[in-house]
Amino acid sequence: MAALLAPTTLWFLVMLIMPLIVILIFSFGERAAVGGYGGGFTFEQYANLPARLKAFQNTLTYAPLGTLLSLLVAYPLAYFLALKVDRRFKLVLLVLVIVPFWTSLLIRTYAWIYILGGRGIPTILEWIGIEGVRLINTPTAVLIGIVYGYLPLMVFPVYVSLEKLDKSLLEASNDLGGNSFKTFLQITLPLSMPGIATGCMLVFILLMGEFLIPAFLGGGKVFFIGNAMVDLFLQSRNWPFGSAVAATLVVIMLITVSIYMRLAMRNKTGADQSLM
Amino acid sequence: MTSVAAFRNVSKRYGEITAARNLNLDVASGEFLSFLGPSGCGKTTSLRMIAGFEQPSEGEVFLEGICVNDVPAYSRPVNMVFQHYALFPHLNVESNVAYGLKQRSPKPPTGEIHNRVHEMLELVQLTGYSLRQTWELSGGQQQRVALARALINKPKVLLLDEPLAALDRKLRREMQIELQNLQRNVGITFILVTHDQEEALSMSDRVCIMREGEIAQVGSPLDLYDRPRNQYVADFVGKSNFFYGVIEQVRTWKVDIRLDCGIPVVLNSSRSFNSHKNGDKICISVRPEQLVLARDESNIPEDSAIKSTARIMNRIFLGEQIEYLLCDERLGEFLALSSRHNELNEKPFETNEVVFVAWSRDATLILDDDERDKPNVS
Amino acid sequence: MSKNSDKQITSKQFMRQLWRYKRGSISRREFLGVTGLGMATAVMGAAIPSLLPQKSWASTDLGDRLVFSTWPNYWNQANLDEFTANTGVNIQVNAFGSNEEMLAKLQAGGTGWDVFVPTNYTISNYVELGLIQELDLSRIPNYDASANNPKFAGPATVNGKVYCVPKNWGTTGFIINSNKITSGPKSWKDFFEVTKGEGSGHTIVHDYQLTTIGAALCALGYSFNSIDPNELAEAEAVLIESKPHLFAITSDYQPGMRSGDAWMSICWNGDATQLHNDLPEMQYVIASDGGEIWTDFYAIPAEAPHLDAAYAFLNYMQDPAVQARDAEAHGYAPTDARAIALQPASLATDPILHPAEELMNGLEFGAAQTLTDPNRAELIARFKSA
Ligand SMILES: Nc1ncnc2c1ncn2[C@@H]1O[C@H](COP(=O)(O)OP(=O)(O)OP(=O)(O)O)[C@@H](O)[C@H]1O
Ligand SMILES: [Mg+2]
Repeated sequence: MAALLAPTTLWFLVMLIMPLIVILIFSFGERAAVGGYGGGFTFEQYANLPARLKAFQNTLTYAPLGTLLSLLVAYPLAYFLALKVDRRFKLVLLVLVIVPFWTSLLIRTYAWIYILGGRGIPTILEWIGIEGVRLINTPTAVLIGIVYGYLPLMVFPVYVSLEKLDKSLLEASNDLGGNSFKTFLQITLPLSMPGIATGCMLVFILLMGEFLIPAFLGGGKVFFIGNAMVDLFLQSRNWPFGSAVAATLVVIMLITVSIYMRLAMRNKTGADQSLM
Repeated sequence: MTSVAAFRNVSKRYGEITAARNLNLDVASGEFLSFLGPSGCGKTTSLRMIAGFEQPSEGEVFLEGICVNDVPAYSRPVNMVFQHYALFPHLNVESNVAYGLKQRSPKPPTGEIHNRVHEMLELVQLTGYSLRQTWELSGGQQQRVALARALINKPKVLLLDEPLAALDRKLRREMQIELQNLQRNVGITFILVTHDQEEALSMSDRVCIMREGEIAQVGSPLDLYDRPRNQYVADFVGKSNFFYGVIEQVRTWKVDIRLDCGIPVVLNSSRSFNSHKNGDKICISVRPEQLVLARDESNIPEDSAIKSTARIMNRIFLGEQIEYLLCDERLGEFLALSSRHNELNEKPFETNEVVFVAWSRDATLILDDDERDKPNVS
Repeated sequence: MSKNSDKQITSKQFMRQLWRYKRGSISRREFLGVTGLGMATAVMGAAIPSLLPQKSWASTDLGDRLVFSTWPNYWNQANLDEFTANTGVNIQVNAFGSNEEMLAKLQAGGTGWDVFVPTNYTISNYVELGLIQELDLSRIPNYDASANNPKFAGPATVNGKVYCVPKNWGTTGFIINSNKITSGPKSWKDFFEVTKGEGSGHTIVHDYQLTTIGAALCALGYSFNSIDPNELAEAEAVLIESKPHLFAITSDYQPGMRSGDAWMSICWNGDATQLHNDLPEMQYVIASDGGEIWTDFYAIPAEAPHLDAAYAFLNYMQDPAVQARDAEAHGYAPTDARAIALQPASLATDPILHPAEELMNGLEFGAAQTLTDPNRAELIARFKSA
């Protein structure tokens, strides 16, 4: 058993713990004069965190908002796929949901620059008489990009939980006098909670590190913590400060994950353990 | 008795498949009716049309004399116990049982719900289990919760789709008795789906035997056993010996039949359900216990429909009774069941012994020859 | 995109844009820098030796490969192919989006690079860090120092030693869509006025501290390279004040300009040539109150594994005809007069690529400390997150 676990442990150490330790060490160092890591031990980087307060605020606003919007878009889609679509077409439709994601997010996000740009949707809106709509490089564009980019991450866990849902439970509710709406609220929704939680968790955690969508669709004006880190590591090459920001982000994520685990454990029932 | 549920010319098709064909059935108020038949014969489909989960392709479903084809499941005064109980896993026992009451509008006061739930749990002997999670319960207990949940709204008809199939034999026996008692106590019409004939025959007031989407026969268990309308029912309910032949002559009270093996038989025409005419291919049926076996020809009654000799091929002791497999050149193989303490008081027959066989006219039924399956012994 | 800019974007045009992006040709410095993906773009071919073509002939044994790191769309593939055909040396090209990224990579070590293309202001840093090696000019006979304007070639010499040979040069000014911006801004001061005025909502500044802070400093009459805290504070105020009026903060400004969403942007002159050629209303302006002039160089990292091939490559690339072909592919001006002489007249006299001397009087080369100054880095971060 121990021998079998050894490679896993090693992998875990090398891939996860080591980078974290490096980040942690860097975060207590000083920036070298020409950039990079200059050694030393100081709390200066952490003291300097308020300089990125706005980026943290933005991320902590847009990440939950983006997660919520993704859920609102993904849930009906997953519901439709899992419960309404004829079994024969299910696979085809699922594949159709995934296909766009075979192309890199970069290219697809780039495409949105044109869709949301002056000659895209705003022009179409002009045809129907709605003038002066500006989409590209606005927070709205960033949210649209987020919902688009993260859709499968939300759709799949929710789909799986709905697909697993014993359909006779819905009939039982119906039989006992619950119409479709009541059945949805009292049975479908609570039983798809594990999928919702997993999807939200995935999207939220990845959104916390997002930098591409705000850079492209926000025109650089919507500044996430991910953008701050890209700048710190690749432009100003202030590795210690970048590391302190990264370490702080990791802590925020750990807190989020532990809250999720708490909730997941508390809600654990016989039927919904598999997604935990 | 008024009919609480009824089918009028109901058919249900799934594309090419006809799951139910031209069903006509009246279920009396307060009765315990079973749908019995082999897998895929349309039992569940029929039940689900009453519940409202399926719409008939043709015909009408009535509940208390009103056509409910357009009434959605959640508004029908019937409730269902699902095969795998379909208990809500995120709700505890109390909330599961209360579910039906809480769907009502206006919602009854909390106190009333609480009282009703406890009444129900008492009824199914689950007092004290109200705060348990459903997955903590045994199969039998889950079964009871499902019953309580389905009964709390006092349905006009309780539909049960193989509710006992998931239980082991002993528990199933107990639950069968309990279900029967429960049905008598609450006075609600029960419609039970099963493919276990023993279960259907022992519990029901009437059994509806289904075959490939059609109703083969509806009747009391005794009726079905003694007066099956066709070979299928005779075969399905209990064991029967079948012999094939043609009608030679229909007379006023009697029918002359020649079996395919050449033996002529004269039977009472009252033992036939369908009117036959000369030349019709038929099948005669006789229950194994109605065969008379004897070592001495004089012990065979004079007015037997058939008299023959046959060799004992095999015998099985069933305690009080012994089942013999017999073989005769002309009649082929057939079964006989004889009580060890019959009036002749003969010693049990030995394998390979050649004995006299006969059965009476009254014990012999004339049935349509069902070409679809033709086992001589079942 | 095409000249009929008032029409809707067609699917064909859209695909062309995507294609441009895939080739990395939208702008020289943008994309990869923004995305941080530059480091992942190494071309794999050279990593699989059996796939390499056999060399036809070679005077000396140069080995079979060379790793060349440069900017996106900043080379002529025909030149590289010819070099490979002549020497048997296969070239693996890595494209990078920023000088900072190249520096970070070399600082981290183990790049395997043989030749790369730094910009003037980074060279002294590389020398100081010991990351590049002094060149033995005798091994680059094609390089003719006298044919190169000392103004452009100057940064190659640090402490009296030559570390690089020049490649191309250019300027950083701004571009306007003259159909939309009619007040004819001439200076960075005008640029920020127009941003708050007729160009409000349609101006782009770079996601790059050097040029964006530099522009604001010039508008205030300070040096493009200033690291004086007071002057930087004033520049920050200028930028923060203009931020609500900006269309975007991005170094990827061509798509916005082409689509008509943006009307004015800080701009490198090579991009300006591309834009102007496609859309004549795009006018490049060298600001009267200053701006940047820059030179890109070829340099050899200290740890270059294929030194002989690297020298052979540098020598080849300094051939005037090769330089002319190189410039033809990307549109930037060569520093070498011999190469310019071989260029078609349209390029050799193009006013965007070769502006009149007096226009360039106010331009400054970026300074090493401008790049590494932590205050400027923090300033741009505050500006972006404001
Ligand atoms: N939703 C459906 N779509 C297509 N065919 C169906 C559907 N439901 C049932 N059938 C078909 O209708 C026929 C009757 O099915 P039904 O479930 O009523 O049988 P059953 O008597 O309950 O069988 P079992 O004892 O196996 O439960 C079967 O042939 C079945 O394949
Ligand atoms: Mg069934």
